[in-house]
Amino acid sequence: MAPNAGYVIAGYLVTAVALGGYTLRLFARARDAKRRAQTIADRRRVG
Amino acid sequence: MAATAERALGKATSRSGEHLLGIAALVALGVSAVLSLVVAPPDAVQGEVQRIMYVHVPAAWLAYLCFFVVFIASIAYLKTKKTRWDRVAAASAEIGVLFTSLAIVLGMLWGKPVWGTWWTWDPRLTTTAVLLMIYVAYLAIRRITDNPSRRARWAAVIGIVGFIDVPIVHLSVVWWRSLHQGPTVFRLGAPEIEGTMLLALLAGVVAFTITYAYLMTLRLRVGRLEERAAREALSPLVGAER
Repeated sequence: MAPNAGYVIAGYLVTAVALGGYTLRLFARARDAKRRAQTIADRRRVG
Repeated sequence: MAATAERALGKATSRSGEHLLGIAALVALGVSAVLSLVVAPPDAVQGEVQRIMYVHVPAAWLAYLCFFVVFIASIAYLKTKKTRWDRVAAASAEIGVLFTSLAIVLGMLWGKPVWGTWWTWDPRLTTTAVLLMIYVAYLAIRRITDNPSRRARWAAVIGIVGFIDVPIVHLSVVWWRSLHQGPTVFRLGAPEIEGTMLLALLAGVVAFTITYAYLMTLRLRVGRLEERAAREALSPLVGAER
């Protein structure tokens, strides 16, 4: 392996984890918000 | 009925557009990775480690773009008082913080083998750290108050004033003596970079820009959904009437 290749691998891994992780986090936030709004609306309907 | 169908159709179209943008971002990032890790030659002086440039520089440029969008959206909000501009500014600031953090971490990974240190109080590094703090403060301010118009107004002021640091970061290598190299691509005369390296760098910028567009669409949808959830929770009367 070329000298300092570890830094390059770490750099590209960090980039993939940051962008991928943030995208997944946004999906989770969208799902949670949708579920929260739905739960409140359902409770009102029942109440 | 027609309105409902139209809304559903609009929703489906926008979601499919979002999916297409996501696929485009993924493909562009893949192409950029191949160009920067396989096609571009290693640097004559720094060797393989210089390949970090192909993600470090696009991350930094995208941070500038994100904060420019915050700046424009903040002015638009103060002028029109339309919530959608505040939503755009908040989304872009959040993504800008991500890109700035990424640029700093990637710079550290590049700096250690080349400069012999993870961090130094170089003008470019210092002004970038200040930039990160400004926009972390921007996001923190948004959590302080629950009053939407007050929150949007305070945030817009920081979004406008905070942008002053962006040209300072960019020009810090020209104004002060820095460990960073001076302008290589945007300079008077031809770019001081080999052709394939320039191509890989530009491919990285394009890929990160498409990724930013995709993240913006996702983050704007999250913003709309979170606002709807908050509205449902805060207005029982309106909810009961539905």
